Amino acid sequence: MTAPPSTSNPVSAPVSVEVPAKIPDDFGFTDDHALLRDTARRMMVDRCPLSEVRRLAGDPVGFDPDLYRELAELGWTGLLIDEKYGGAGLDTLSMALILEQTGRALLPGPLWSTIMAALAIDSAGSEEQKQRFLPALARGEAIGALAWSEPGGSWQPDGVNATAGKSPDSDGDGAGYLLDGVKTHVLWADRADVVVAPFVIGDELSLFAIETATTGLAIESENSVDPTRRTARVVFDRVRVPEKARLSAGHAGSWRALHVRGYALLAAETLGAADAILALTRDYACERIQFNRPIGAFQAVKHPLVNVLIAVERARSLVAGAVAGLDGPSGAEISPAVEISARMAKAQATEALNFAADRGIQLHGGFGFTWDCDAHWFFKRALWSAATLGDAIHHRRHLAAYLLGR
Amino acid sequence: MESRQSSQSLQSTGSPESAEHRQFRAGVRAWIADNKPAQPDFMLPQSFLEVETEAQFDYLRRWQKQLYEAGYLGFDVPREYGGQGVDSARQSIVQQELGRAGAPFFVNQIALQWVAPTILTYGTEEQKKRLIQPLLSADEIWCQGFSEPGAGSDLASLQTRANAVEGGYRVTGHKVWTTLAHFARWMILLARTDPEADRYGGLSYFLFPMDTDGVVIQPLVKMTGEGGFNQVLFEDAFMPSDSLLGAEGQGWKIAMTTLTFERGAAQSQNRERAAADARALSELVALVRSTMRDGRPVGDDALFRDRLAALWIELEAIRLGARRASVAGLTADHPHALAMMHKVEFSEFRQRLNRLACEVLGPEAMLWLGDANAPDRAEWPRGLMNSYGFTIGGGTSEIQRNIVGERVLGLPKSK
Ligand SMILES: Cc1cc2nc3c(=O)[nH]c(=O)nc-3n(C[C@H](O)[C@H](O)[C@H](O)COP(=O)(O)OP(=O)(O)OC[C@H]3O[C@@H](n4cnc5c(N)ncnc54)[C@H](O)[C@@H]3O)c2cc1C
Repeated sequence: MTAPPSTSNPVSAPVSVEVPAKIPDDFGFTDDHALLRDTARRMMVDRCPLSEVRRLAGDPVGFDPDLYRELAELGWTGLLIDEKYGGAGLDTLSMALILEQTGRALLPGPLWSTIMAALAIDSAGSEEQKQRFLPALARGEAIGALAWSEPGGSWQPDGVNATAGKSPDSDGDGAGYLLDGVKTHVLWADRADVVVAPFVIGDELSLFAIETATTGLAIESENSVDPTRRTARVVFDRVRVPEKARLSAGHAGSWRALHVRGYALLAAETLGAADAILALTRDYACERIQFNRPIGAFQAVKHPLVNVLIAVERARSLVAGAVAGLDGPSGAEISPAVEISARMAKAQATEALNFAADRGIQLHGGFGFTWDCDAHWFFKRALWSAATLGDAIHHRRHLAAYLLGR
Repeated sequence: MESRQSSQSLQSTGSPESAEHRQFRAGVRAWIADNKPAQPDFMLPQSFLEVETEAQFDYLRRWQKQLYEAGYLGFDVPREYGGQGVDSARQSIVQQELGRAGAPFFVNQIALQWVAPTILTYGTEEQKKRLIQPLLSADEIWCQGFSEPGAGSDLASLQTRANAVEGGYRVTGHKVWTTLAHFARWMILLARTDPEADRYGGLSYFLFPMDTDGVVIQPLVKMTGEGGFNQVLFEDAFMPSDSLLGAEGQGWKIAMTTLTFERGAAQSQNRERAAADARALSELVALVRSTMRDGRPVGDDALFRDRLAALWIELEAIRLGARRASVAGLTADHPHALAMMHKVEFSEFRQRLNRLACEVLGPEAMLWLGDANAPDRAEWPRGLMNSYGFTIGGGTSEIQRNIVGERVLGLPKSK
C-alpha cells in the first residue's frame, strides 16, 4: 500500500523482507577502494579499448597474455588470496570494483575464472594443496578454470553427475581416483593449467583440482556465443588423478559457498558491462542527428535509456550490498542473508545488462545491427552472463522460496 | 605493485551504528510501541495526499504533535528554530522505526519535507523564527500552491499574479490540486510578479497566509471518492511584504529547490519510505501466503512467485540505494542519479506492488471500500488507485524521466 498508514491492514504476522545482512553504512568503501577502482579504470581504458576487444575476439588465443601478466603484477589475480600464498589479501569489495572495470572494458581473458579457481582451492584445499597451486595462480603464472556445469543445463550446485572412484595403486605411482563425467562451458579450460571441478564420490560431493596436463583428459573447445569468453567441454573418461588432487575440505558446503561468491563477483563484472553499453548508447544518442536533432531528444529514446540507468543503478546497489555482506562477519560461512543478497545482485545485474544491450542494439539503428558497431559485443556478453551461474528467473525462483518459506 | 595495500588500510571508516545510536533506536522503538495510536473507528487516509475529514486530520495532527513533543521530530532543524539540532543519523533512525512500526504518517508532510528546508535555505531570520517551530509541532499546516489549470508539468507557464501594492502584494489567480489547502494556515505560493520578464524571471516565491480575505478553497474529489486536494481561487487577496521568500524574480530558482526536496533529495526521507515499503511488501507476502485459488495456495503458482521475487529485488535495491546515496565513492559513476531517480522508483514500485496484490486477490479484487467481505477492507485496490497520486503529483514519471535523462545522462533536451 502507499505510505505507512498500514495500521488499517489486518493481515497475519509479516515475514521479514528486510534482508538482514549486516553491512556497514558506507558498505566498507574507503579512499583506498577509490584509488584501486580508478587505477583499474585507467588501466582498462589504456590497455583494453573496444578496438582491442574486437581484435582479440578474432584471435586464436582469445586474450593478450602480456596484458594478463601485467594485471597479475598489479595484484589482480591474487587479490583475494592470502599474502602467505603470494596474494594481496584484500577484501571482496576491492575485487568487485576491479571486476566492474574489467567488465566495463569487456576484458577478454581468464581473470574471473582464475580468481574463482583460486578461491575454490583456498576454501577447500589443504595447506599442501594451497602451497602447490595458489602462488602460481596469484602471480599469474598459472591459469585456473572452474567447472560449474554439466550437460543437461543445470545451475544448481548439486546438479553434479560426474563421479570419482577410488583407484588402487596399480602402476606404482600411489593410490588415486578415477574420474568420469563431462563438464560443459568451462571458461578458459583450453588455456588453463588447472581445472577445479566437483565430482560425486559415494554420496558426497568433492572438489578436485586437476592439472590439465593429466593423461587422458580431453578438453574440447566450444564455440561460445561471446568470443571474449572462450569455453570448453572437459571430458573425463576414466581419467586417473593422484590422491592429492582431491581437495580435502571440498564438501558440498564450500561448493555452494563458492557459487554465492561467484554470483556476487560475476554480478560486479556484469554491472560494469551494463554501465558501459549504456554510456556507448548514450553517446550515440547525443551524436546521431535525425529530424534535425540528436535522437536523444526523442523521449522514445530518452526514457528507455533512463530505464536502463535505473536498472544499472539498482544492480550497483545490490552488488554493493552483496559484496559488503561477503566481507561481513558471516562471509566465510555464507549466511542465508548473504546468499539472498548475492542472488539478488546476480539477477539484477543480468537483467540490467540484457536490457542495456537490447536497447544498445536497437537505438544504434541499422548500424547497431552490424558487425562494425561495438554494441553486439555487449549483447553477446549479456547472453553469456545470463547463461553462467543462473539467469534472473533462476535466482528469482530461489528467492521466492526464501520469501515464502517453501 | 601499485594496487596492493595492506588489508588493515581497508578497514571501513563508517562503523556500524554506534552504541549511542543503538540506544537511541531502542528508545524510539519503545516509545513508538507505547504511544502509537490505536486504530480509529473511521477510515484513515493512506497517505498525506488523502486527508479529508476533520476526524482524520485531528488524529494525524495529534500524532505528529505528540512525536514532536517527545523530542523525536526535527533532527534536520537547528535548535534555535524549534528543532532538535541537526543530526541526520537520528533523523534516519526515527524515520526507519516509524516506517517499520507502520505508525501513522505526519500530516504536515509538505511542511516538514519541503517547506522547512526551503525556508531554512532562503528565509530571513524572522521567517525562520516565526514559521519553522509551528510546522514541526503541526500547529500550522502548509500547502503548496504551484500547479494551475493551465500549468502542470509546464509549471513555468503559470499565470497567477502577485501585484506589489502598498505594504505588500495582491494576488489574483487559480491554483489547483492543492493538497491540504483546506487545513492549511500557510501556502508556499509561486506567482508572477513581473509579466514583462521572461517566463522564469517573472516568478516570485511567497509564504502566503491562508486566513486572508479573497481566498476561496473548493475541495476536489479523487478517483477513489476521497478528498484531500482542492482548488484555490485568489480574488485580490492581500499578503504583507514579508511574505516574500528570497527576492522578487527568484521564484523559479527557489521552487526548484523545493521540488528537489519533494522528489527525494532528503535521504532520511527516502530511508523512511524504504522502511514503509518493506512493510507493504511484508503485507503482500502475507497475503500471498494466505490466499487460496482453486484449492491451492496462490504462493505455489510460479508466475506469482516470480513477480513477488522481482518486487523483493526491487525493494532491496531501493533500500540499499537510499543508503548508498550518501557514500560518495559508490556514486561516482552517476552522481545524483539515486536522488533524482528516487521518485520514479518508489512511486512505480508501489504501483506494481498494489497491482500484484490485486491480482493475487483475483475475483475478490473487485470489492471496494465499505463492502464487509472485501479482503483487507479493500486497501489493495484503494492503494493501487492512490498510487497514481505519486506517479503524477510532484512531477509526473514522464517529467522525471526527462529530468534524469537530461541531468544525469546528459541527453539533449526534449522540446
Ligand atoms: C494527488 C495529487 C496531489 C497533488 N498535490 C499538489 C499540490 O499540493 N500542489 C501543487 O502545486 N500541485 C499538486 N499536484 C499537481 C501535480 O504537480 C500535477 O498534477 C503534475 O505536475 C502534472 O501536471 P498536470 O496535472 O497539469 O498534467 P499535464 O502536465 O497536463 O500532463 C498530462 C500528461 O502529459 C504528460 N506530459 C506533459 N508534459 C510532458 C513532457 N514534456 N514530456 C512527456 N510527457 C509529458 C504527463 O506526464 C502526463 O502524463 C498534485 C497532483 C496529484 C495527482
